[in-house]
Amino acid sequence: MSTPTEDLQARARALLASGEADLVIGYGQGTNPQKTTPVFISKADDIGQLVLNPFCHNNLANWLTRKDLRARHKRIALVAREPDIRAVVVLIQEEQVKPDAVRVIGVRIDRLGDPQSLCQVLPQTTLDDLQTHLRENFQPRDLTPEQLAALEELEAKPPAERWAFWRNHLDRCIRCHACRQACPMCYCDQCIAVLNQPQWLDSSAHPLGNTAWNITRAFHLAGRCINCGECERSCPVDIPLMLLNRFLARQVKAHFGFLAGYDAKEYQPFATYTCDDRQDFIL
Amino acid sequence: MTTAILQADRLPALLDAILKQARPVAPARDGDLLHLRPVASAAEIASRLDYINPRNSVKEFFFPRSEPVLAFERRADGVALAEPATDFPKTVLFGCRPCDAASLLIMDPLYNWDYKDAFWNRRRDATTVVAISCTRADEACFCTALGSAPNATTGSDLLLTPLDDARYLAEVLTPKGEAIAALAPDAFSPGTADKQAPCKAAFDLLPARLDLDRISAWLSANFENDRWAPWSFKCWGCGCCTFLCPTCHCFDIADEGTYRRGARRKNWDGCQFSLFTLHASGHNPRPDQAARWRNRVQHKYTNYVSKFGHRSCVGCGRCIRHCPVNMNILAQLQQIAAL
Repeated sequence: MSTPTEDLQARARALLASGEADLVIGYGQGTNPQKTTPVFISKADDIGQLVLNPFCHNNLANWLTRKDLRARHKRIALVAREPDIRAVVVLIQEEQVKPDAVRVIGVRIDRLGDPQSLCQVLPQTTLDDLQTHLRENFQPRDLTPEQLAALEELEAKPPAERWAFWRNHLDRCIRCHACRQACPMCYCDQCIAVLNQPQWLDSSAHPLGNTAWNITRAFHLAGRCINCGECERSCPVDIPLMLLNRFLARQVKAHFGFLAGYDAKEYQPFATYTCDDRQDFIL
Repeated sequence: MTTAILQADRLPALLDAILKQARPVAPARDGDLLHLRPVASAAEIASRLDYINPRNSVKEFFFPRSEPVLAFERRADGVALAEPATDFPKTVLFGCRPCDAASLLIMDPLYNWDYKDAFWNRRRDATTVVAISCTRADEACFCTALGSAPNATTGSDLLLTPLDDARYLAEVLTPKGEAIAALAPDAFSPGTADKQAPCKAAFDLLPARLDLDRISAWLSANFENDRWAPWSFKCWGCGCCTFLCPTCHCFDIADEGTYRRGARRKNWDGCQFSLFTLHASGHNPRPDQAARWRNRVQHKYTNYVSKFGHRSCVGCGRCIRHCPVNMNILAQLQQIAAL
């Protein structure tokens, strides 16, 4: 039986050979067995660099909006885990990526970081089929019981305790912006955090500046976050950013019945206006 | 320098004595995060001292991530300016690694070459560095590649090397170190010991010394080189490496507040951000990640050498260990050395 890595390499080889893709973005071996690192493969000779294992952490959809890459490559094949396929769907909805400019090699990794985790290349090859797979197979296991429990535990706390919780965590923020750079949904040419004429958000890593930055970042992801967890994993000071993101995702689900990245044909709640929208919340 | 043997079971008593007369900064565990932070009691300090390296470097205790350098207030008779106090509390930095201690000597000349930076210098004066040698290393550590060692004394006032579970070799290196040893004289007994053997596991994993002159020469000659783009392609331009680095020192100046009053602050900044070099005209001399990564490598391993005679790197490995995309500056240097 072939290994997940062999399956992945075979798929990548076929895409390059047929000309369907001129670049494959995937994972290669990192500095230790528990790390991988993004690799960019344009020649069949380099396909051996590709690996698929439970340590494939990065959301590679992040590179789909990189201008230097888009300038050189027109047909990109992307190794995408299930949450990353959701990211591709959102990028298509937001017209950042043209559906025919990307080939998705879907992969499934059930428990990142667990050497025993299931790891496989998904059989579906079209984005339509992958979205059907996401809706039917992935959505029920998108949020793990542990993630849900952590969220509900925080939600159950009184506001003062929740505020203390976030003050304590946000105080550590050093404003390195790894959370933003890690996020495939943070593709703005000019992030509000770097606009300095005027300075919308204090750039200082003090409680006011850190709160302003982190809340703004989370708000901009409401109805857009696809739960890949890369921001939290990339944070060098261990701020539990996904608690904020998951909280907002639950609110959007509760109020609009919407989950991001499952259907490119849907309209996003915060990017849509209809004449029968309720107006009663406007003061 | 004198040496002594410190009994491990007397370490808490020494820390208590330190606590009575200084603000201790020590490795503490908060969840999965092991970091250096002020502690209120010896009990807050990590129980095991065999961590590879705290997440943050010692930098922030001398050069905070955000610090007011001037306060201003508009009054009827004009604008009143006030400089913040620089009488910093007496601090003992306990449990950093020798690489971090060495970083302080690399930063000193930067803060003193044309302007004597009171914020840096007075914190340096007020702080005693008690470092602990490494008995372990990981694949990101590379102090030996730069000619240092996991038990090097550079930059420490007192260096403790764990000999076994019960004893440390204490190297008392400066008058500040003597003052610490004098706080609990009965914890130290005269004596010395071999400090290489306890660090063997670390030495075994650490890489060979690099040909640093060859690397500097290549970097000086290769500002323009097509290799920079593929080398940096996966870097996504966050500030994780520069902010965790003990020797990255760039800062931005920001005025904050209202029309009436506010503060001018000195904030960490990093050369991996596009805004770092953006000109008022809109021109950016480092327009892409290739130019920014090149700057990071050139600045550390050749530019800083020509100005201050030392590489701006101690091989602590944080930029490799915590890079979200696993960029590897050691592999980069080895690659350049082999060209």
